[in-house]
Amino acid sequence: MDAVFLFGCGFIIAGAVIAATVRPLGRALTLFVAAVVPGLVMNAGFSIERIVSLPSVYPLIPSIPWCEPFFRADGLALYFLLVVTTVAVPTIISAHSYLQQHLGRGAAVRAFLVSFSLLLLATQLVVLANHAIVFLVFWELMTLAAYLGMLLEKEKEEVQKGSFIYFTTTHMATFILYVFFFMLHAHAGSWFFTDFHIAPDLGLLFYGVCGLGFLGFGIKAGFMPFHFWLPWAHPIAPTVLSAFLSGVIIKTGIYGIFRVIEFCSPLPAWIGILIMVVSVFSAIFGVWYALAQHDIKKLLAYHSIENIGIIGIGIGTGVIGISYSVQSLIWLGFGGALFHTFNHAIFKTLLFIGSGVIYQNFGTRDIERMGGIVHRAPWFTALFLVGTLAISGLPPLNGFMSEFLIFKGFFESASALGKYFPLFMLVMAVGLAFVGGLALACFTKIDSVMFLGTERSSLGAFTVTAADYAAMGFPALLCILFGIYPQPVLGIITSVIANNRWGIALQPYTIFAQWNMLTLVFVSVLAAIGCVFAAKTIGARRRAAPAWACGYRRQTPKMQYTASSFADEINSIAAATLHLRTHTSAPETIFPKRSKFDSHAGDFSEETFVAPLYHAIVDRAGAIESLSRTDIRYYILFMLIVVLVYGGVAIVWTYF
Amino acid sequence: MDIFLNIQGLFPFLFILGISPLLVGLINKQKALLTGRIGAPLWQPYFDLLRLTRKETIYAVTASFVSRLAPVVAFAAVLISSLMLPIGYVKPILSFNGDIIVFAYLLGLARFFQILGAMDIGSSFEGMGAAREATFAVFAEPIYFFTLGSLAFISGHTSIYDIYHSIRLDNPTSLVFIIVSSISAFFLMMTECSRMPIDDPNTHLELTMIHEVMILDNSGIDLFLYQYSSFIKIMIYAIYEASFFNPFSMQNPWLGFSVFIVMLLLLTALIAWVETMIARFKMKSIPQYLLFATAIGILNLLIYTFVRQ
Repeated sequence: MDAVFLFGCGFIIAGAVIAATVRPLGRALTLFVAAVVPGLVMNAGFSIERIVSLPSVYPLIPSIPWCEPFFRADGLALYFLLVVTTVAVPTIISAHSYLQQHLGRGAAVRAFLVSFSLLLLATQLVVLANHAIVFLVFWELMTLAAYLGMLLEKEKEEVQKGSFIYFTTTHMATFILYVFFFMLHAHAGSWFFTDFHIAPDLGLLFYGVCGLGFLGFGIKAGFMPFHFWLPWAHPIAPTVLSAFLSGVIIKTGIYGIFRVIEFCSPLPAWIGILIMVVSVFSAIFGVWYALAQHDIKKLLAYHSIENIGIIGIGIGTGVIGISYSVQSLIWLGFGGALFHTFNHAIFKTLLFIGSGVIYQNFGTRDIERMGGIVHRAPWFTALFLVGTLAISGLPPLNGFMSEFLIFKGFFESASALGKYFPLFMLVMAVGLAFVGGLALACFTKIDSVMFLGTERSSLGAFTVTAADYAAMGFPALLCILFGIYPQPVLGIITSVIANNRWGIALQPYTIFAQWNMLTLVFVSVLAAIGCVFAAKTIGARRRAAPAWACGYRRQTPKMQYTASSFADEINSIAAATLHLRTHTSAPETIFPKRSKFDSHAGDFSEETFVAPLYHAIVDRAGAIESLSRTDIRYYILFMLIVVLVYGGVAIVWTYF
Repeated sequence: MDIFLNIQGLFPFLFILGISPLLVGLINKQKALLTGRIGAPLWQPYFDLLRLTRKETIYAVTASFVSRLAPVVAFAAVLISSLMLPIGYVKPILSFNGDIIVFAYLLGLARFFQILGAMDIGSSFEGMGAAREATFAVFAEPIYFFTLGSLAFISGHTSIYDIYHSIRLDNPTSLVFIIVSSISAFFLMMTECSRMPIDDPNTHLELTMIHEVMILDNSGIDLFLYQYSSFIKIMIYAIYEASFFNPFSMQNPWLGFSVFIVMLLLLTALIAWVETMIARFKMKSIPQYLLFATAIGILNLLIYTFVRQ
């Protein structure tokens, strides 16, 4: 079976070679898609095959014995491999139509495709790595490949700024991870993940290590207040890449957090509570910031923060379960988190691909200029609608299923743990319900402003290619399937959790015994919709007429409710926290003149600590700028000094 | 497959479907009497529904398939969620662990489509209603979890049927807890069913409305679906509220059922009284009102948790 994985990676490398060499570019693009998609499908098949054969963990590639200790395909790794490959397939398919408009750029597109295939490869190997150095190498490769991919339209100023913020932030995270792994190495005396273990009786060292791990991976995942890079990086990347960034790359942070829980076990309960509190804040403010955005990709980036928060709530529940050794909590918490990871990857890919199609047609990401797409492309609208319903966590789609598991985790922990837990968990449940309400407001906003009503700016033609339909149809199908019939995925998640290394032996547990009831509910909802709709279509007389709208004549598209006015009432409640600013210039004359209104949403963490910190560093650095001579000998001297400092720290660390 | 044998479980469902227009008729009649009018007959809501089925359905030229789908989804979601509510001791057809979550989210699905259906017209009147609906829903959702949810957390059950059957009124702490919870639940009911302090179900002054203005451009069978689902929704929340005080339902089915009916009647009188006595709030102060209801819930649960220990 390992041959399948090797062939899969081979196909992806072949894709990179094709992208670099084949002429003309149009054919190279088609061949690239044709080569990479089978490779991804093979790797997805490989991961499913291996998950089914759990608990036995085979070496990744038995035919190459020397690499055996460096890679380990255990349950968690295989699950994330499945997530990566499943979501990458529609992304690559949509790349075919998305990049058509950029074909004139020539070499830049080739470079993009090569770095994208590198990114695919590196992301898959990151989750399979079992050796800290190998992990860090692929982690760096993943970060850099994503950075290079972002530079497709590098002449734009926002691209330069956004990619720079991404680059610096992820490098900070990587630096923290270096320290994290070095400390683990110093403790375990080995570089292998399987040997890493650190127990709480070490006191400060334990908390230092797990704090660094959570910080490093948390920055990558985008937990608040370290989320500030997401709204910069996601909008400026080519949409194909932002789908992958939001769907998969930030999930490697979640993967890392699962590994930290493995290395530092058993975690005390207060860390679980802390994770839950941070996560619920991420979820609430992520979606609230999203509500204030007009830029569709920025809005979706903030929603990633919300969903990472929901995943984090599940992880926190699981950690509490580990520390009190309550079996059901581990199953429901981690199960909900893992399921939501997959689900978010699916619907976020769908939504980003859809927003890419819209961006291509409108040439803007500003949703205030859109509208009426439904009349141009009803099927496209329906597919996007599936994605928005799923991300709002509404039944009968997959987003609801994972939130349901997390809710069940709250109830379970309240009844199993007693004490102050019912109160705490109730607050969490209310927080999650609040997030659900805000997400509903946000997605009804973008659905109705972008798709419904009439067109706000005149549009020549709205084209959706067959590749776009395929790329959106596949995740939409998965959204429905995982919603109505989640048992297969839950089976996979069950075997992933059962083969844990969290230092706790788990009893067999059915995550939720009454799925058939849920399936029954959903099927009856769908059946009721179908019956009533059929009865209505057959029975009722219909007629089309201009909208009544209280008798107002000559409605123009400009009179429609805009996204800002739709969200205004909710946003004004938290305007101060959201750093929401509006500028109105309305001349106070008898006769109306041209007036202007614009609103802008800032970001709390960016404006209160990230930007001041950055500027402080830049200012301090300015003081030593005089040292930067053109003479290369000075640079060599600086490097030597830095190496000496690091060496000195290492010696002190080892011998004292 | 015992769910298919549970014929008895159909009773709450049929009761909700059949009686909900009468409940609205009762409220309207009492409101009329309180304001010194004779008012429409009790059966008027039935006549209204019947009339709508015979009318032609008009779609705006700016509307899309979303408008045709939205009333259907809203109706179906409300219909199926009503299958989860118990009446008295009768176990509903759909009753399983975690149905309180499914119940809340199905109503969310109905709301999602109702908002989309309103925005589909592209008129700012519907837009106004939809934006308000979305805003107030954000604050109404937590109240649900503070009332029924806190009972679930206390009792350890996650099925609506089991939660109501775990209520014991013999202990003073839990009695106070139930009474305060039911006050929050009443606030929730007035919001969700677009009743008076939040929304006015009767006038057609569009600028002040939430729910009525969202369905301005719906007619015929679509309006029928919206109206009927709003009647069912009132019934659902009335049952939700009335079931808080039903200590007899397990011991004596018939006594329990009679108490339940009396509770429903009292509730209609209360709604009519509140609607007559209180003017509608300013739109700006509605979030405060809802947050106040949430705060009562929090305070109540805090007291309960610490008195118990």
